[in-house]
Amino acid sequence: MRVAIAEDSVLLREGLARLLDEAGFDVVAKCEDADDLLLKVRSYAPDVAIVDIRLPPTHNDEGLRAALEIRANHPEVAVLVLSQYVEGGLALKLLADSAEGVGYLLKDRISDVDEFVAALRRVAAGGSALDPIIVSTLVSRQRPGDPLAQLTPREREVLELMASGSSNQGIAGKLVITVRAVEKYVSSIFGKLGLPSTGGESRRVLAVLTFLRS
Amino acid sequence: MVAPEGFRLYSAAIGGKGAIKLFASAPKPLVLAAIAVIGCAVPLRSIAVATGGDVDLVAVGLLDWITVTFILAGAVAWLRRPESRLGPLMLAGGFASGLSALQLTHVDSLYTVGAVFDILPAALFLHVSLAFPDGRLRSRLERALVAAAYTAAIGLQLVKTSFGAFGTRSLIEVSAQPEVVRVAQHVQLLSLSALCLAGVAVLGTRRGLGGRQRRRSLALLIDSFALGLVMIAVLFTVGTFDGPAFLEIQRATLVVIGISPIVFLLGLLDARLGRSAVGELILELRRDPAPADLRDALAEALRDPSLAFAYWLPDFETYVDSDGRPLELPDEDGRTATLIDRNGGHVGALIHDCALDEEPELLEAVGAAAGMSVENGRLQAELRAQVEELRGSRARVIDAGNNERQRLERNLHDGAQQRLIALSLELSLLEQTLGDQPVARARLDEAGLEIARALEELRAVARGIHPAVLTGHGLEVALESLTARAPLPVSLTVDIEERLPERVEVAAYYVVSESLTNVAKHAHAREASVALTQTPAGLVVEIVDDGVGGADTEDGTGIRGLADRVEALGGRLRVWTPHGNGTRVKAEIPCG
Repeated sequence: MRVAIAEDSVLLREGLARLLDEAGFDVVAKCEDADDLLLKVRSYAPDVAIVDIRLPPTHNDEGLRAALEIRANHPEVAVLVLSQYVEGGLALKLLADSAEGVGYLLKDRISDVDEFVAALRRVAAGGSALDPIIVSTLVSRQRPGDPLAQLTPREREVLELMASGSSNQGIAGKLVITVRAVEKYVSSIFGKLGLPSTGGESRRVLAVLTFLRS
Repeated sequence: MVAPEGFRLYSAAIGGKGAIKLFASAPKPLVLAAIAVIGCAVPLRSIAVATGGDVDLVAVGLLDWITVTFILAGAVAWLRRPESRLGPLMLAGGFASGLSALQLTHVDSLYTVGAVFDILPAALFLHVSLAFPDGRLRSRLERALVAAAYTAAIGLQLVKTSFGAFGTRSLIEVSAQPEVVRVAQHVQLLSLSALCLAGVAVLGTRRGLGGRQRRRSLALLIDSFALGLVMIAVLFTVGTFDGPAFLEIQRATLVVIGISPIVFLLGLLDARLGRSAVGELILELRRDPAPADLRDALAEALRDPSLAFAYWLPDFETYVDSDGRPLELPDEDGRTATLIDRNGGHVGALIHDCALDEEPELLEAVGAAAGMSVENGRLQAELRAQVEELRGSRARVIDAGNNERQRLERNLHDGAQQRLIALSLELSLLEQTLGDQPVARARLDEAGLEIARALEELRAVARGIHPAVLTGHGLEVALESLTARAPLPVSLTVDIEERLPERVEVAAYYVVSESLTNVAKHAHAREASVALTQTPAGLVVEIVDDGVGGADTEDGTGIRGLADRVEALGGRLRVWTPHGNGTRVKAEIPCG
């Protein structure tokens, strides 16, 4: 699997490259800034691009803009944004149109190599990944007449895992239950929250996030 | 005889400069009244004399008209302005006319005196005309004109009298030589005519004065002087060449000459009325008029349409007009400045027609009345400048704080945070190489968790120092997570089209952040709302909760700090916090 990395800190860029290399990825491009990344995405056609949200020169929104541009102009390239920001709004900007092949994780996640690699693979395969902290912020957000109050604790767990992009299989594995049981929880959650049941898992992520955000 | 009978009406003269100086310091009102009474008694006597003989009564009456008007005007002028020579000069003119009656007596010595000073009043009239308003001749030309006029009026008159112009009753007649008398008479009258016309020209330049509008009473007086001088010139010319209608011209001349003192007195009356305008001015000033209106009000009170005023700016050591443009106080003919002082400090100046110097009391009153307004205007301008300066420096202080926090956050992000992440990555890579050493792996796991906690804390610290996401991604994104993290339901409405100036965004962010913290800590609210609206005037931020209200806005809640931040940007922050009715914080921040 071909990966492009855009990260301005040498330490992290090299560490990340080493990690991915050892995990069996083919790191085809290591970039310091957004322009370089866009150029190399065009030239090397990676399967997935890992983008630091803060990139030179201003460290403002260059990374996010580069990610959005790749999503718009190279839909075949998946994008995983690494960020220091726990702002759900940023993640949702990235996921605005579709949650397919897109991820938003805190940078800290790279230290949990297995989780990180799994998320990267999921994104590269067209799935999605949203940082658990962002999801939990969204879920624990106070709402007037909180509709989430009707969910059982288990259903809440399933909801959070859904929102972070896990597949039914992934949820089943994490909660150590059967896929069948997960499906039951999902349909119960959708029923309680009044969400239309949608087909794909990626579209499901978007529906859940939109609900959590409103 | 070329000089007709009526000419003796001009005869006699009193006083020279010496006599005037004698009294110049401070005439007592009583003394002046006595002079006036004596002066006015002269006509009575002359009428008495005239009715006794066959004299032209009309001519006597006209003479007395001149005598009385000049004496009254002179007395009043002297009383009002003791330091001016104009009063004595006019008195002299009056007595000169009055004493002409000496020619009507049967006493030869007095008759002789009357004959010698017959023409003098014409020269005196020229002198008065040119010496107005302060009794001094200003230029060498004026002094030359007046000196020549006196020479012609007295010197040549002596020649005429000596050679028989006034018949044998004249005690100083040497011999009767009609030809000498005729030549002297021609030279005398024609030169006086010319001198009077030159005087008219001088008055003309004085009146015009750069095309500015002069004060009405002054212009009128100058006109009356000029008309009198023209009449004298015409009269003398006609007299020299035995022209027609001499008698009518003579009478008209006498009437016109007597009008000048009347105009002068009217001018004084006008000035007195003007002082009552000061009362109206004070009422007007109470309304604290704008500078342009203030000028108009002062011009009205001083009856000087050309009036201007100047603010004194001590910091710049210069005068400026009401628009703040520097200006020089005038140093030209006819314009002068009266300085306005207040509370021992200089605040400005009135620039006006120099004829107003004749009315020092009015100037003083208007200056004192205007002083307050001028000072107010000046202080306001100064204050505005200082407030602007202060706001600028406060904004700079806050900007500097923002920049410093931004720099710290960046350092934290690029430094410690990145290194910790790299470190934890390193640890987890190490962990993978350990294989089956469960104790070591567990300890590495533990270390990794510690680093994760450190990173989390560091992230919170960094956000507290500066919300970098705000700079990077704008208010809406930053506020969304801010409201999402609040421990109560907060609805957020952001109606902003574009990115705003950073300092405005930062201020708005802190207003929301601090207000929500207060709500969480003190309000016991069930829910809150945050609304941001962009208006033409700027950004309006409103935070409303349904809590207990009664928030302490001065202490501990950080409201004061927020207000400082907002006010530094020229905005304002208001808090409504009635007991039991929730709290509403509203900040208006201009985006200009």
